[in-house]
Amino acid sequence: MTPRRSVTLCILIVLLAAPVTAANIERIVTSSGDGLDVTLVVTGIPVGGIVETLPDGCVWKETDHPADRTRLSGGKAAFAVIGEETIRYRVQGPQEAAGVFTGTWEDLLTGESGTVGAAGTHGPESSKTPVEAPGFLSVAALAALAVAYRRRCGR
Amino acid sequence: MTRRLILLACSLCLLAGMAMAIPCDRDSDGTLTSSELATAILDSLDARQMGGAVEAPSPGDLRDAAFIYEHWDGRALTITDTSGQTTTLTRPIRRIALFNSDSLEMLRSIGLEPDRIVGVSKYALEDPIFYPEYQGKANLGSVWSPDYEQAAGIRPDAVFLYASISQSSCDEIEDTLSAIDPDIRFFRFDSFRPTVYADEVRTLGLLLGKREGAGRFLAFYGDATGSVAGVVDTIPVKDRIPVYLENWNDYKSAGKGSGYDEKIELAGGMNIFGDNPAEYPVVDPEAVISRNPDVIVKIVGAGETTFGGYGDDDISPFERVHRAISDRPVWNQMKAIRDGRVHIIHTDVIGGPEYFIGTAYFAKWFYPDRFPDLDPRAVHRQYLEEFQRLDYDPGKHGTFVYPA
Repeated sequence: MTPRRSVTLCILIVLLAAPVTAANIERIVTSSGDGLDVTLVVTGIPVGGIVETLPDGCVWKETDHPADRTRLSGGKAAFAVIGEETIRYRVQGPQEAAGVFTGTWEDLLTGESGTVGAAGTHGPESSKTPVEAPGFLSVAALAALAVAYRRRCGR
Repeated sequence: MTRRLILLACSLCLLAGMAMAIPCDRDSDGTLTSSELATAILDSLDARQMGGAVEAPSPGDLRDAAFIYEHWDGRALTITDTSGQTTTLTRPIRRIALFNSDSLEMLRSIGLEPDRIVGVSKYALEDPIFYPEYQGKANLGSVWSPDYEQAAGIRPDAVFLYASISQSSCDEIEDTLSAIDPDIRFFRFDSFRPTVYADEVRTLGLLLGKREGAGRFLAFYGDATGSVAGVVDTIPVKDRIPVYLENWNDYKSAGKGSGYDEKIELAGGMNIFGDNPAEYPVVDPEAVISRNPDVIVKIVGAGETTFGGYGDDDISPFERVHRAISDRPVWNQMKAIRDGRVHIIHTDVIGGPEYFIGTAYFAKWFYPDRFPDLDPRAVHRQYLEEFQRLDYDPGKHGTFVYPA
């Protein structure tokens, strides 16, 4: 077997051996000016729903999620997930609110549900101790890189 | 009275129309768009978690809609099964009853969740080593002796039957269960015939939302069959090894176009009774001698030779069968006996969905020099571990071939 074929085979074996990705949503919160930028990193949920409860004192500002897949009501934001791997939104409010976001998700293909951030791998810095952030777009780029990295690793 | 009948007819039409409609397809144009699905998801979240007063779809409708959008591109699915029967579905299949154990194994290969199967044949229940996760499911009996009470009682969405085995029995099952519940869908697959095997995997993957799993399995299957076919294709027809195949009944061979005839051919052999028009002819021992095969293959695991396979580690019955063939009167004149080329194989790895493992053994036996690196046991091990998800090493357990 040629080295090239060996490498291809190894890649194939790794890809084939990769377990089915467990459904999970991570929340990354960073401070930005007078508000907070929230990025939800969606893993293994091709079709589902998310309801985020905004902390007291926070006011909804905007999102990059399509308008027809977003609904706001009484301090809660609902997102319909149809293939998206990241959802970003911004709220106006105190930095201390960063660790107080709560949310739930549902996977409509498997029927599973869970809590946003419950099985996340992000460190406490990202949600509990907000730091001066490089800005909404940079955070978005970092999140996209994280998603791309995870895809390449087959996880 | 007439007015009542008209009303009843209208109601029935309406109900039938509703049953055929794709859930959450608000404009009823037959296509569930991403926008319609998003609205349904948001309405559901709004009503259940945000105190909204919107009219939301039921959780069942929403899940069905998500499935149809993700796996069927938001449209009804029309598929044709191996028997040629065409069915259109506007709902996913969530409760499957299988009379066909071979399809049960194929469904496991594509990664179907066991909880979508609500009833299985008695053969699956009699095999706890190979089907551990299905023990405790409803026992449907068999194609030849179905338990209709059980089958109807588990309220299946779909019943899977064989396409080419016992068609009259399968027709009877379909007629009887249709009369009990007209909403049951029937599908016929074989899951053991090489000519339709890959197509069946693809169709099942699409039907059950397991296209990715089907693709993974087909890649493995393609490698396993391709490694044999690639070599066999280079062997001129005139140089093909003459093979005598006998099933578990002595002198019962395989005729033209039978499954075993096809499997011999796939492995590059020339079936010495491939010209016999009967599917499974009982042949004259002297005809075998006169055709003087290079290789003899005996299949065990059924009928008079019900031993071996996954649940049996004792190889001694295989040895006895092997010896008995060599000891048949005058058979020592045959090339296969003189050269020690008699092989015993269990039906588990040649008669059903694992046939490609058996044909790998065949190829190795027919042309040992052309397949020095072919390792049928490794293919078997990978199949069990990766696609059947069984903690079972065929190198340590079971009896499948002799000599090993």
